[in-house]
Amino acid sequence: MIGFVLRRLVQLVPVLLIASLGIWAILYAVPGGPVAGLVGENATPEQIAAVTAQYGLDRPVVVQYLDWLRRAAVGDLGVSIYASEPVVDLIGQRLPATLHLAVAATLVALALGIPVGVISAISPGSWIDRALSAWSALALGVPTFWLGILLILWFAVDLRWLPAVSGYVPIWEEPLTAIRNLLLPAITLGVYVSGILARFLRASLVSELRADYVRTARAKGLPERQVVGIHIMRNALLPFITIVGLMMASFIGGAVVTEAVFTYPGLGRLLIQAISTRDYPLIQGCIVVILILYVAINLAVDVLYAYVDPRIDYG
Amino acid sequence: MNRAWNSTLWLLSGLMARPASAAALLFLAAMVIVSLFADLLPIDPFAQRLTDALKGPSAANWFGTDELGRDIFARVIYGARTSLSTAAAAVVIAASVGIPVGLVAGFFGDWRDTVLMRFIDVLLALPAILFAMALIAVLGRSQMAAFIAVGITGIPNFARITRARVLSLRKSDFVTAVEAFGGSSGYNMFRTILPNAWSPILVQVVVLCSVAILLEAALAFLGVGVAPPTPSWGEMLRTGKSYLYEAPYYAVLPGVILTLTILSFDVIGRALASLLEDRHDAGGVQIERTAS
Amino acid sequence: MRLAEGTANAGPVLSVRGLKVAFAVADRHVPVVRGVDFDVYQNEVLCIVGESGSGKSVTSLAVTGLLPETARVEGSITLGGVEVNGAGRDALRRMRGEDVGFVFQDPGTTLNPVLKVGRQITEGQVALSRLRPAEAEGRAVELLRDVDIADPEQRVRQYPHQFSGGMRQRAVIAMAIAGQPKLIIADEPTTALDVTVQAQVLSVLARRQAEMRAAVVLITHDLGVVAQVADRVAVMYGGRIVETGPVEAIFRSPRHPYTRALLRSIPRMDTDEVRLDPIPGQPPMPHALPAGCAFEPRCALGSGRPRCREEEPPLSTVASEQNAACHFVDEAPPAPKVHAMARPKMAEAEAPPLLDVKGLKVHFPIKSSVLQRTTGWVRAVDGVDISVRAGETLSLVGESGCGKTTIGRTVMGLVQATAGDIRFDGQSMVRLGPADKRKARRRMQYIFQDPYSSLNPVLPAEDIVAEPLRIHGLYDEMGGAERVAELFDMVGLSRSMLSRYPSEFSGGQRQRIGIARALILAPRLVILDEPVAALDVSIQAQILNLLQDLQAELGLSYLFIAHNLSVVRHISDRVAVMYLGRIVEQGTRDELYSNPVHPYTQSLLSAAPDPDPAARHSSRRIVLEGEIPSPAAPPSGCVFHPRCFRADARCCAEVPAFRPYPGLATWTACHHAGPLEQNPAALAEVSR
Ligand SMILES: Nc1ncnc2c1ncn2[C@@H]1O[C@H](COP(=O)(O)OP(=O)(O)OP(=O)(O)O)[C@@H](O)[C@H]1O
Ligand code: SF4
Ligand code: SF4
Ligand SMILES: [Mg+2]
Repeated sequence: MIGFVLRRLVQLVPVLLIASLGIWAILYAVPGGPVAGLVGENATPEQIAAVTAQYGLDRPVVVQYLDWLRRAAVGDLGVSIYASEPVVDLIGQRLPATLHLAVAATLVALALGIPVGVISAISPGSWIDRALSAWSALALGVPTFWLGILLILWFAVDLRWLPAVSGYVPIWEEPLTAIRNLLLPAITLGVYVSGILARFLRASLVSELRADYVRTARAKGLPERQVVGIHIMRNALLPFITIVGLMMASFIGGAVVTEAVFTYPGLGRLLIQAISTRDYPLIQGCIVVILILYVAINLAVDVLYAYVDPRIDYG
Repeated sequence: MNRAWNSTLWLLSGLMARPASAAALLFLAAMVIVSLFADLLPIDPFAQRLTDALKGPSAANWFGTDELGRDIFARVIYGARTSLSTAAAAVVIAASVGIPVGLVAGFFGDWRDTVLMRFIDVLLALPAILFAMALIAVLGRSQMAAFIAVGITGIPNFARITRARVLSLRKSDFVTAVEAFGGSSGYNMFRTILPNAWSPILVQVVVLCSVAILLEAALAFLGVGVAPPTPSWGEMLRTGKSYLYEAPYYAVLPGVILTLTILSFDVIGRALASLLEDRHDAGGVQIERTAS
Repeated sequence: MRLAEGTANAGPVLSVRGLKVAFAVADRHVPVVRGVDFDVYQNEVLCIVGESGSGKSVTSLAVTGLLPETARVEGSITLGGVEVNGAGRDALRRMRGEDVGFVFQDPGTTLNPVLKVGRQITEGQVALSRLRPAEAEGRAVELLRDVDIADPEQRVRQYPHQFSGGMRQRAVIAMAIAGQPKLIIADEPTTALDVTVQAQVLSVLARRQAEMRAAVVLITHDLGVVAQVADRVAVMYGGRIVETGPVEAIFRSPRHPYTRALLRSIPRMDTDEVRLDPIPGQPPMPHALPAGCAFEPRCALGSGRPRCREEEPPLSTVASEQNAACHFVDEAPPAPKVHAMARPKMAEAEAPPLLDVKGLKVHFPIKSSVLQRTTGWVRAVDGVDISVRAGETLSLVGESGCGKTTIGRTVMGLVQATAGDIRFDGQSMVRLGPADKRKARRRMQYIFQDPYSSLNPVLPAEDIVAEPLRIHGLYDEMGGAERVAELFDMVGLSRSMLSRYPSEFSGGQRQRIGIARALILAPRLVILDEPVAALDVSIQAQILNLLQDLQAELGLSYLFIAHNLSVVRHISDRVAVMYLGRIVEQGTRDELYSNPVHPYTQSLLSAAPDPDPAARHSSRRIVLEGEIPSPAAPPSGCVFHPRCFRADARCCAEVPAFRPYPGLATWTACHHAGPLEQNPAALAEVSR
């Protein structure tokens, strides 16, 4: 198992190399860089040259990339051009907020998705199934940003129960404020994902229900509770773990829209800012961190999977 | 050809036989027609009347007016153009890259598979929205940039779905048979496998339409979609959000249309999937009928 | 053993009266079981036989209330005097756990992959509080030992994927007997297993059943198995029992035309070359049953008679304990036409063989599932010499996984040979460039096992048959549409079916399309990979006859790959027996079947169930231990030594050479080859 984890981590290296090189190449392939924004519109060529040199942007692209790579290898992702702060620090400030939201949204998604999926799978085709399937479709079809707006209209504008703008408060410092802040964004994101989870769970449960071992379980006189609760659930939850992992991983950078609706200070919004200002070091840094987290979560899921699925031997 | 035509008719009638998918199909057909012929309608999405800014829904302005006094309903209609054309372009881009990639990766399954799927993995690891934004940052804000960005994010799905289908078909005897008769790989891929793989691909086309519309709207909502004043649903929600207190309808009504459009694609996608799945069973019934 | 011997006054364990089952399909009910009556007594084995779709499985599932909700069940089913049909959920559940044990067909899917085997064996008893959780594991160990699983203490904690197919099926039997049931229902329990493993499983089942004096309902389509294990037989056709009686009577004096025809359509191990007598047509489909007797369209006796067409015959007594459902039971059937076999004369041995395979090895890399690194090699074919002469049939027999199909595919060029040479018509095939290979393939064609997956579903039959012509650019040159139509005639398909799609054909018809496609380029050698294994016996006979006719007519050579020894005996000139990637014995058919000298051939022949109940007491069977080892880690020395009853130290160390056996026209690879009788010491062990 340890060998497997190590090998997977080693495999991460080429992925990160490809990705970072790709981004670097794309960013430099197009005209206009961060300097234009920094120096203002009526800057003289001398000023521009000075600023360019200051950030080392006048060196050959390959040199810049290799230089970046050499530092990145030891955890130094450079300095943000706009904020003039180390990229690692900027990301470090946003990461806890992102993780808070990711965990909260996952909890909402599981709390909604599992019951909906299980109940609709038990009696496929019934009116409950149809109602719950319609609910899942709605959860998936309503754009998160629109749902966010509706929630703000209702809970913040009309009822004034919750804040319309969600700041980041660590949950271990002020649990109540943290929850009030997280509630709307987590519901917005969680409802959408609960639709995915419910659909997936329903489909895998329904196909497991037809499996031969279910007939065997019934034939030996097991009560239906055990047939569904143990035999079917154990099989259906295995692929489910993977999906939940993928979803969590996608929250790391992919919650941009929700973050934007609630002006929540997450990693996604940091990246948007970086992109709009062409803050190269920050863009590179954010993407690399997002990729690493994505792979790390997937790896954790694989390890968990190997642990619960007796058929997999990672040896 | 005849068979393809029959299949199309059969699918359409199958969709029309279910109330939900029939409604969705009609709604989308109406959207397509209205957005195609919007120029013929007595509406103008660009006409500003600052005196009438932020007025609620009325007989003259069904969805009310925006901060510049433009008719929101007219902008919603023209916004459908942006949405639907993005969806169409994205499907074309994603399918024309993703399907061949999946076909080659799944068919050969050797180093070609490893290399191609590694690239697809990188595409997948980055959330679609971030990837699209990065591309738009590079390409600049334009309709074309939105097409390309949304299209590229759809490639992995086509590649993976095609590959999965190819992998399962690859092992079936009728593919081996063609190989045994001396048919080339190209013949096998395009003449034997692809015609048998279209049903999951078709479902994916519909699914990608809804994803593309959502993504386009999200990009516009973040302020990097098509450039104003071209109407876009996401852009309207973005501006509407600033007037939540004064004009709640501004952000709500365009969202209703957006949601209905996405839901319609979703309903049709699922109906197609279940129709095509049923057809497998129907095939079985057919066997029995002729065997007797 | 039988009810006559002492249990006569006890009532039946299971009694079924007027059982009807219909499935809701679309908005109508399709009857699949249409009035079935039978009884099973304590310590009695009732076999239900019939072709696929005749309603065997549905009947057995109805007995325990396991049918899906779309099924409508009518009639009376009493188990130990208690009515089952309509019983409440809890009563049913209790009954399944306490009174009935179930063994299903496919051991690969009947166990839950993510639960430990031991738990699965006893959990039913625990759930019914007949076993305390603390004692469950001990009981599971005991049960596994009862079904001959070695090292049961370790095995109870393993998962199903760690068991081989035969072991899984034995675990399922352990599960079925966990509650000491009065009735065991086994639905095709050995169909998915190899013959040597089938023999083991049937013997375990028989021993445990005898111990518990349980009643057994065994469902099968294999008349050999029936003859070996049944006390009484019920023959099903079109959702009804058409004949029932003691096993000897059914085999010796069958009275229903269907039973008679069925028995005549199977190739036999003991008979000489006679042409098979297939039943024409196909079994009826439940939603399109003929109005009168369901067998009427195929019946030689009744076909066309008004009474058979209009009136469904009731099951009535025809002899003591024997019933048949036919209006004309007393009429003699039309004399079976005994055709002499049209067998082409054997090519002289001196002529160079058409196909000559020398020292063929095919090794596949084993990739670790996660990282795609090669971690070992599967030696699928490991040094094989075979040759096929013009106009003859060479059969490759062996159990699953022994490498038969790989040889066929390698010869066809679908798999790359690792070593060795394949010469076709004097020309070496292994190092040919793609263009030459294509050309060579014209003369060599392949027929697949599964008629359902070997035809492209989106092409009409005519295009499927014409595809090889198109691929080789010979469509016009070889006669185009007319050539396709000719082949349709040749394989016995109507020209009116040319434009139909594969889904509109039955399995037998599809196999005919496959044959037409293989013959359209006028090949000289045809490789047939289990061409009849997926077909019902009556259809199998049709296809075997067709293959023999075509061979005689076109002078074809066949490389026939199969696991069914009676089919092989029927069709071959020469036979090669494979085990774990090697040929262990090869000879002319008659020599090999009457004087096998290799221990594996001897076990294989003895394990194949003979469709003759009289053979069950007379012949001694060799029940091999264990199962085929993995070709990724073949045993040292002679690969057969872990299972061989003659193995000694030399066998473990030294690979036996493949060489002629003195005095017979046979080649074999064994240090101690020889006829079975010559080795009395070994036989003692065999009859254990
Ligand atoms: N759940 C179901 N719904 C509809 N039809 C069914 C269902 N189960 C079985 N049938 C039909 O009932 C008929 C009898 O099936 P059954 O499985 O009993 O046949 P069988 O004699 O066991 O055949 P085989 O040898 O193939 O196992 C078949 O035509 C089958 O298609
Ligand atoms: S009733 Fe008629 S058709 Fe049926 S089996 Fe008897 S003779 Fe044949
Ligand atoms: S060589 Fe030895 S082990 Fe192999 S078959 Fe002959 S007697 Fe058995
Ligand atoms: Mg069956």
